[in-house]
Amino acid sequence: MVDYTTNTGNLFMTASFIPMYKLRLSGTLAYNKSTTELDKVVMPDISDRLDGNLEHQDYSFDQMHEYSNLDYELWTISIGAQFDVSPGVQLTADAEYADLNDALGYVYGNESGSMFFIRTGVRFSF
Amino acid sequence: MKKYMMNLMLFVLVLGIFAPMIFAQEDAAVQNYSIWVGGHYTDFGDYNKKVGEYRLGEDEFLPELEGFYQYRKADKFFRFDVHYFDNKNIDARALGIWGDRFSGELYFRSLIHQQGRDMLANMETREVGGGKILTHELLDEGADYHTDRYEFGGDYKVQLSRKNNIRMVAAHRTVIRKGYEQKIASSHCFSCHVTSHDVNIDKRTNQVEAGIQADAGEFTLGYLFGYRHFDSKAHDPVAYYDTAMHPVSELQSYKDEFPTRLNFDNVYAPYGTYPETEKISHKVRVKGAVGKGQLSGSVGYSQARNKKVDLSANTLSGALNYALVLNKKMRLIARASGSKLSNDDPRIDLADYREGRGGVQTEFYISDFDFTRYSALDRTDGRISAELISRLKPNLTLSLLAGFRMIDRADFKNLENETYTTKRFTGQAKLRYRDGLTFSSSVNYRFERTFDPFTSSKGLFESQGYDVLQPALYSVSGIDTTFTIFYYQREDLRYQNITTEPTFKHSFDMTSTYRPDMHYSFTVGLKGMYDKNNELDSLDVEHFSIQPSVNFTVTPDSKWSVMAGFNYNFNRSRGPVTVALFDG
Repeated sequence: MVDYTTNTGNLFMTASFIPMYKLRLSGTLAYNKSTTELDKVVMPDISDRLDGNLEHQDYSFDQMHEYSNLDYELWTISIGAQFDVSPGVQLTADAEYADLNDALGYVYGNESGSMFFIRTGVRFSF
Repeated sequence: MKKYMMNLMLFVLVLGIFAPMIFAQEDAAVQNYSIWVGGHYTDFGDYNKKVGEYRLGEDEFLPELEGFYQYRKADKFFRFDVHYFDNKNIDARALGIWGDRFSGELYFRSLIHQQGRDMLANMETREVGGGKILTHELLDEGADYHTDRYEFGGDYKVQLSRKNNIRMVAAHRTVIRKGYEQKIASSHCFSCHVTSHDVNIDKRTNQVEAGIQADAGEFTLGYLFGYRHFDSKAHDPVAYYDTAMHPVSELQSYKDEFPTRLNFDNVYAPYGTYPETEKISHKVRVKGAVGKGQLSGSVGYSQARNKKVDLSANTLSGALNYALVLNKKMRLIARASGSKLSNDDPRIDLADYREGRGGVQTEFYISDFDFTRYSALDRTDGRISAELISRLKPNLTLSLLAGFRMIDRADFKNLENETYTTKRFTGQAKLRYRDGLTFSSSVNYRFERTFDPFTSSKGLFESQGYDVLQPALYSVSGIDTTFTIFYYQREDLRYQNITTEPTFKHSFDMTSTYRPDMHYSFTVGLKGMYDKNNELDSLDVEHFSIQPSVNFTVTPDSKWSVMAGFNYNFNRSRGPVTVALFDG
């Protein structure tokens, strides 16, 4: 019998600020940490119970429990601004950065990566 | 497919563009428009399929559009929203209400889901000093796995007559998944050869519902018809199954022998295919006042069929709820439901073992492994519960619930060849407290005791040293030889039922919010669960989880607003780990 343990922690903060009548600012900071772990598998010694010669087999399971271990860390930060050019016309700008750190890798290989995203546009309201 | 999606998008956009013009002709209506035009640029570093799981995954600049139109006049309301992020991520929705005569909603949404590729890196081993091997082969080099999901649907309610409030309801939903997915095929003889393939997917789900309901005296009666169809339009994937042979020996007898032990040998055959399923359902509903309480109930029948293999599952279900106000401070809710589910039991047709080969017949020698797979889903499921809700004080409410569930699986037997019935007793207590807007809190505790939870009969393989099999006698080149233990003989060593279902389960849920004034609020929560099955001989199954959370909101003035929080989730599962014995 073996324990399989999962830990997930999420920390976030969002804020909005209106420094002046025509300008609105916003921001988000988020952090996620996820780990999973299988306890070491202690297989029984069956050498004295086998009715047959299986010495040619390698029954080592020393690292088996590590195959499914996961350790992910994700940082996300985003900021945004909205500026009222005139009544009904608004300029917007947003930026987001995400960084994923895969410390152990899984069957897909190392999944560490980052993403940078910017967006801007103009809104017309009637 | 592309033409279909283009037509669909065109329809939704035309609806959004022309609706304002149609409604604008009327005076005294309140209308709002907004359109946002812009673009975005995305840049990825290193591996992009995890951090950009729902993005296109390209470093590129793309145009983006977002907007809405809203119309309101008297009892008429219309709203259209659209967001075009990129050609794979689109969201559009139109909602119309005309008093109590009509309401309808039409939507389209799409997304892309990036998927990684299993490198099969752990699937590699070789017998020490022997020829038996496990190998993997990636036949999908450079494959880009992703699913494009498109969903289109609608929901409509029409009042046909105010007399008896006769209403017709209808809904439809179409989900299309296209793209590429990874499929793993394995063939084995002396070697286990695992191959990875990229496979085209084109899965379609169509669902419609139509019904009618009417008031009759104190009661409302309704009927609902449902139809759902799933199919894959992609070609079935095909994989090559290796030639069966001895790892070392070139003896002709081995070349003749090994293929007779496998279902597939030296052949291309389909694998990992999708079913074509169809489900038809009927449901009759009734609700109304009975005595001093409110009664609601339903009776339903459905048939689901896999058209590829002509297998069906039939379900007959019913439910009854009764809510009764006992006095000014207390009310009772009684619930009862039941269902009977029966499946066709498929016959599994396998190639005869060692067909055409000679050999001495022993008690272990079996040439026909065909069997009937009985379904564990065949069941009669009944539930009853009663919940008493009492307002102890103006700001304090207590709710007590007691329930019982019984599942009878007449066609599924346990190790002792007996049918068994799962019985589950449930008790729950919930306390809610509210002190104006300043403080509110709720605490909920639930306990479940299960007798004879569902188990996989004889699901546990041999305990070490539990038994020793006698090697089977078989013939090599016409000479009877005591050779070895065959894989299928291991079935005789299965000796115990196995399950991960608990017999005891405790659940706890608490949340409290403190709001000293309109500028600050503070919320803490805690969820926990522990279950265990201590009625198994060999296994020790238990699960434990705990989820604390903290959130606060600060709005010191009209310029600032801050929200922050932390939540943590701990899960631990204890169960058996089994290892495949690799010996050819």
